[in-house]
Amino acid sequence: MDEKFDCIIVGAGVAGLAAAMTMARNNMKFLLIEKGEFPGAKNVSGGVLWGSDLAKLVPNYWEEDAGWDRYINHRRLTFMDEQSAFSIDFKSSHFNETPYTGVVVLRSKFDRWLADKVQEAIDASDHSMDSFIATNILVEEVLMDSGKAVGIRTGEEKFYADSVIIAEGVNNLLTRQAGLQDKYVPADHILTGVKEIIRFDQNVLEDRFQLRGKSGMSNEFVGFATDGVEGGGFLYTNRDTLSIGLVLGLKDLREKEKKPHDILNVFKQHPVISDMIRGGEVVEYSAHVVSSGDKRLIPKKLYKSGLVVCGEAANLLMNAGKAIQGMDYAMRSGMLAAEAIINAKNTDDFTEGSMKKYQEALEASYVMKDINNFQDAVHLLHDPVMSQNMPNLICDFGRNFFSIKNEPTQKARKMLGKAVKKHSSYWELMKLGWKGSKAL
Amino acid sequence: MKLLTLPERLGLVSYRNQAKSEIKPHIVVDTEICNSVCPHKCTTYVCPANCYTMDEKGQVHFQVEDCIECGTCMYACDQGAVSWEFPDPEIGRGVTWNYG
Repeated sequence: MDEKFDCIIVGAGVAGLAAAMTMARNNMKFLLIEKGEFPGAKNVSGGVLWGSDLAKLVPNYWEEDAGWDRYINHRRLTFMDEQSAFSIDFKSSHFNETPYTGVVVLRSKFDRWLADKVQEAIDASDHSMDSFIATNILVEEVLMDSGKAVGIRTGEEKFYADSVIIAEGVNNLLTRQAGLQDKYVPADHILTGVKEIIRFDQNVLEDRFQLRGKSGMSNEFVGFATDGVEGGGFLYTNRDTLSIGLVLGLKDLREKEKKPHDILNVFKQHPVISDMIRGGEVVEYSAHVVSSGDKRLIPKKLYKSGLVVCGEAANLLMNAGKAIQGMDYAMRSGMLAAEAIINAKNTDDFTEGSMKKYQEALEASYVMKDINNFQDAVHLLHDPVMSQNMPNLICDFGRNFFSIKNEPTQKARKMLGKAVKKHSSYWELMKLGWKGSKAL
Repeated sequence: MKLLTLPERLGLVSYRNQAKSEIKPHIVVDTEICNSVCPHKCTTYVCPANCYTMDEKGQVHFQVEDCIECGTCMYACDQGAVSWEFPDPEIGRGVTWNYG
């Protein structure tokens, strides 16, 4: 191919597809390259796509029974000790209204569906014959000429473009090659996720989790779930399967000498979890690293002349206690990256100054605003007090509070006092309360 | 519910190019480093696919066949023993997820 593209997008995950959709709608001539057999083939997520940006990419997506699995109208945050689970549970028919505020997705299905939508947008654009989604191609190098990205190389073949969007995911080899991130990234702010997909008869799943139509539940776990390692657990309802898994601090895992797949079995054996997954059949086991949301990991600069980085390649992911957000950050950053490049084409300016507008737009968006605002929460969640002492304290209190013993009952305040002394101290709790109120 | 062992779990994974007798490894590990200077040999327990194993003499061995491309070892190894690339779609191993 001798022809030059306006843009080459590396990676057809959420970020790359969002960028491609935005470009197709704006009559850009682009090449979207994916190393997997099809878009989504290599991708793993928890995973809930939070927020309503999907409706911007695919208007009225909820009218179609494809791509996404269920919308979330039921949220649960569970603190665990060895035998108990104490949950904050919120369900509301407010969340039944479109656009939904979160949908559960399975990436192998979702990304492929979204890529079909992008192809439809390409077909309707001025470049129906010369914009492409190409799969099974591994990009090995971003070609640079006098400090400006001019294309990519795969094997012996080279493709040229005015600009390149790197949307390669968290294992961001090209981002490192471009010098935007260190060659070696230490384990400090990296977590390893492990997950199983468990299949059920759909009626059993719907009855067990009180699902109606396409409604779904998301449940996050802290405490015993991770067997003493920092991190947390998750359980999401898909159409006829559950996604259940853990994200484990990699540095802590290394120090505590534990195996992620063993911890997943510990989690599954917890009495409360084992009741939820009873009778199911495991149909897939997967694993992938994720970034923690700690800002120290995010590359300071997400652009070069003719080049921008988005999604998890830029380590845009955060768990601040309310939700694990990553795919929505990928989607927004992909859209913003494409907008910056469309603007660059219109002004015929692909210099570094022009690419910088992407990072400025990202900083002004909710993505970086939230990441900046909730750093304290990210740090707090990785504090062992939060992953162990607090869940134990809460469950201990719960066990006493809900036990009826046919003997004089203590006031709740006294019960709480006992639990606090056993697992922590008032001083520790005050510090935590202060940190927590500041962080959230 | 019956718990699965790791080999049972990996048995559910769709690996690429399984029919090919020779594949190009996408990860190269300098086990000399693991077996001489590394104080923790952590890849032998943090790898979710158990691609790194330790024999009875405490020597680390690596095989790429079971790798599910998660990336864990690239960060966990702080000794510079792991060279990590993505598998070649035609002659490499790696995965295709059915659910993801």
